Amino acid sequence: MSDVVLNRRRFLVSSGLFAGGMALSLSPLAAVPGGVAAQPAKVPGEGDELDPWIVIRPDNRVIVRVPCPEIGNGAATQTAMNVAEELQCAWEQVEVEFCDFTREWRQPGTYAVGLQPFFGGHSTDHERMPYTMQLGASARERLKAAAAARWQVAASEVEARGGELRHGDKRLSFGEVAAEAAAIALAQEPALKSPGDWWLIGKATPHKLHLPQVVTGSAVYGIDVKLPGMVHAALKQSPVHGGRVKHFDSAAVMDMPGVRAVVEIDPRKSVGSPVETQSTFGLEDSQLRSGVAVIADHYWQAKNALDALPIEWDDRLGAFWKSNEQIYAKQEEILQRWQGKAITRKGDIYSVEPAQTVEATYRTPYCEHVAMEPLNGTALVSDGRLEVWHSSQDMQQAFWVAVDESGFMPENVRVHQTQVGGGFGRRTMGDDLRVVVAVARQYPGVPVKVIWSREETTRQGLYRTLLGASYRAGLDRKGMPESLEAETCFSGLQLNLGFVDNIYASNGEIENVRLAVSKFPLHIGTGAYRAPCYNSHVFTVETFIDECAAAAGIDAYDYRHKLLGSWDKSWRKCLQVAAEKAGWGEPLPRGQGLGIAISNWPAAGEKNAGTTVCAVARVEVSPAGEVRVRQIDMSFDSGRVANRDAVSAQLEGGIVFAMNMTLNEELTIRDGAIVEGNYHEYPVLRMADMPQINIHFDALSGHERFAIIGEAPVGPVGPAIGNAIFQATGKRLRSMPFRKHDLSWG
Amino acid sequence: MKTISLTINGKAHSLEIDPATPLLWALRDHLGMTGTKFGCGIAQCGACTVHLDGVAMRSCSVPVEYAEGKQLTTIEGLSESGDHRLQQLWVEMNVPQCGYCQAGMLMAAADLLQRNPTPSGEEVDAAMTNICRCGTYPRIRAAILRAAGDPQAVVRYAGGEA
Ligand code: FES
Ligand code: FES
Repeated sequence: MSDVVLNRRRFLVSSGLFAGGMALSLSPLAAVPGGVAAQPAKVPGEGDELDPWIVIRPDNRVIVRVPCPEIGNGAATQTAMNVAEELQCAWEQVEVEFCDFTREWRQPGTYAVGLQPFFGGHSTDHERMPYTMQLGASARERLKAAAAARWQVAASEVEARGGELRHGDKRLSFGEVAAEAAAIALAQEPALKSPGDWWLIGKATPHKLHLPQVVTGSAVYGIDVKLPGMVHAALKQSPVHGGRVKHFDSAAVMDMPGVRAVVEIDPRKSVGSPVETQSTFGLEDSQLRSGVAVIADHYWQAKNALDALPIEWDDRLGAFWKSNEQIYAKQEEILQRWQGKAITRKGDIYSVEPAQTVEATYRTPYCEHVAMEPLNGTALVSDGRLEVWHSSQDMQQAFWVAVDESGFMPENVRVHQTQVGGGFGRRTMGDDLRVVVAVARQYPGVPVKVIWSREETTRQGLYRTLLGASYRAGLDRKGMPESLEAETCFSGLQLNLGFVDNIYASNGEIENVRLAVSKFPLHIGTGAYRAPCYNSHVFTVETFIDECAAAAGIDAYDYRHKLLGSWDKSWRKCLQVAAEKAGWGEPLPRGQGLGIAISNWPAAGEKNAGTTVCAVARVEVSPAGEVRVRQIDMSFDSGRVANRDAVSAQLEGGIVFAMNMTLNEELTIRDGAIVEGNYHEYPVLRMADMPQINIHFDALSGHERFAIIGEAPVGPVGPAIGNAIFQATGKRLRSMPFRKHDLSWG
Repeated sequence: MKTISLTINGKAHSLEIDPATPLLWALRDHLGMTGTKFGCGIAQCGACTVHLDGVAMRSCSVPVEYAEGKQLTTIEGLSESGDHRLQQLWVEMNVPQCGYCQAGMLMAAADLLQRNPTPSGEEVDAAMTNICRCGTYPRIRAAILRAAGDPQAVVRYAGGEA
């Protein structure tokens, strides 16, 4: 039967041997003559597959099975591009399917390559990209060998291009010989092409592959799944996170139209996995919240019955926190003590006798992702088997949550990945899927679709971490910082990226540095929110540096330029491009301002790493204090870009996301519960609020990495807007959201 | 429960349904037409936009009985084979990100162009009040202006110099 040459472990070892700097570079791969020796099949293809990633149908359709969900960033399409580049098929032939994680469980290594392989991103990860290209190259050579065998010629004389195999006048489509190719093992793995020979990566800018289905309404998101006999559930969990259902009265609603059952969601009844789990992010943040679900024929019936259902709650400890003001006051008290744990110490901050001291405290609130597709999932429990359909952001996490909640053996669990109606980090933990399984387990035999209302989605979030930070800098007589001291206080998920590696503390220009962290644990659930914590740290760092520049009487651009020193030139280049394009330094009418900020995700402290982004915002503030963001100019350096248009789209979207976070978003806690439920209470920017957005590619260094791009832009936009507002009004904004500040002037 | 007759995308349907059920859920749950999306349920986001007698409406906030006797068009019927000019441009200009809001966006945009075939940028802004959390507004705007005959639209709005 079929023999697949690529043995994952051996392949990685082998490519490590000749790649040398593979972690950074692709081109050395291509430069190597020969290649990897053939290995016995570890993960054979099944049926007509060339391998578990690639199926070529007789009609010449090329199906690439991807391990990453598509959340809108184009990760699935990019993965297919990697394969197609080497496969030499026509792009029009290519389709993507989501892989089956159960197969990964049965045959480890089938799909797991590189960092977080089943996450909706990282498609240009430095391990996965060459791996997927190698898959394409290997398949191409096997197709050539199959054609050569038919024609009785040497495989080296066969050319593969545009999905066609050629020798002299002879032609065969890939699909015509795919079945034969599937049975061929290569004696040698082919070397990858040199980047100079690429026709797709870095050259073409194809749209995401699922768009034709999106625009006709046929794309299937989790919430769209349709199954025979399916019933629907609406749910309500404890309004105060950590609270419990005390009592509910099923009898009051059982006679309502369509109602079939009322079930309790009880965290104490999660069964637990029968085997050691291998979830991506651990299972702690996926735990159930106590609640009730009503199951009915149709969702509308379930929702009406749920609204009518009398439920009593025991709020427990969370109810102690009466208001945001109470919480914020406590946070400030912690910061004022300056007793956080040091995570960076350089020189001696106490030895400095500054000419001037600048001090400030900042805050960013809890925020919800409000992805457009409300949380949901569908599960069928029958005969010791569990099947789920879910818009997850990480298939591996989803799979293990399903196993853990059901208690079934992994081989009896199947997770079907659907399209995802917005992720932004909310769909990474699998807490939503756990609820679905918990409900379906109590109504076995038919598929149960559980839908969170918008209000339930908003109030049962895993929010952006609430964060406060205090800064203190000692400036010398020229106004430049000699010492920098900072403490960040986290309520919830703690990530230090953007803080501990902020460029001013890590590039050596400031000699005395002390960075510390403290914690203020609360009952409210938090998690990844697009560029977690970085989206707050960059606000605090880049606003504070702006405050230092203002105190020194130095232009905000010049000040940063100086502080970047001789660090990785691309930072200065980003700064320069964004500033120039935005017209930095030109006189502005009263009430207008320009602000600048710069950052890098996820590797500010390293040279030639991550994506550096600089934003310049042009704002206009009316005398009455109404803010209008007129223009955002963004420059960036991710090394290279694999799909220019896809990168631009991510930067555009990141800018809009950051603007909303900065201007609008804040959740309110009242008696421990989240107040906001729907979009009228939690405003989101619309078309009319859009600035002119200019994405500038001029700062790309051409360095060999293809760094990730979705998170980076969320950092600098907020502080750039805040700094611009300061220029326009003289008012310094030290907390988000800006809409809650009085910005009137004149 | 009541029998409701609907004409959807030119085809007749008959439903046994609580007449107060929102049109959105009648479409999605009772007829299995899931192209029309649920985003908020309170006429805030526009994900559920359909055309009733040629006018854009937020179907989450219209009871199904209100649609009786009217011509209803959903995203599935915006064009016969997915080739409405807006659908083509949406794909060509890589407008959607996650795509969840886009059925509603397309229905709103088609309605706008029907009423005003050559809208200005400001008119597009005023008419397009749906929410896109992925932030695709600049591209949506550009695609509508392109459809309205402005060939420069893509350069100016979709990704700067990309
Ligand atoms: S679902 Fe109808 S407007 Fe949001
Ligand atoms: S494309 Fe994702 S919400 Fe609009």
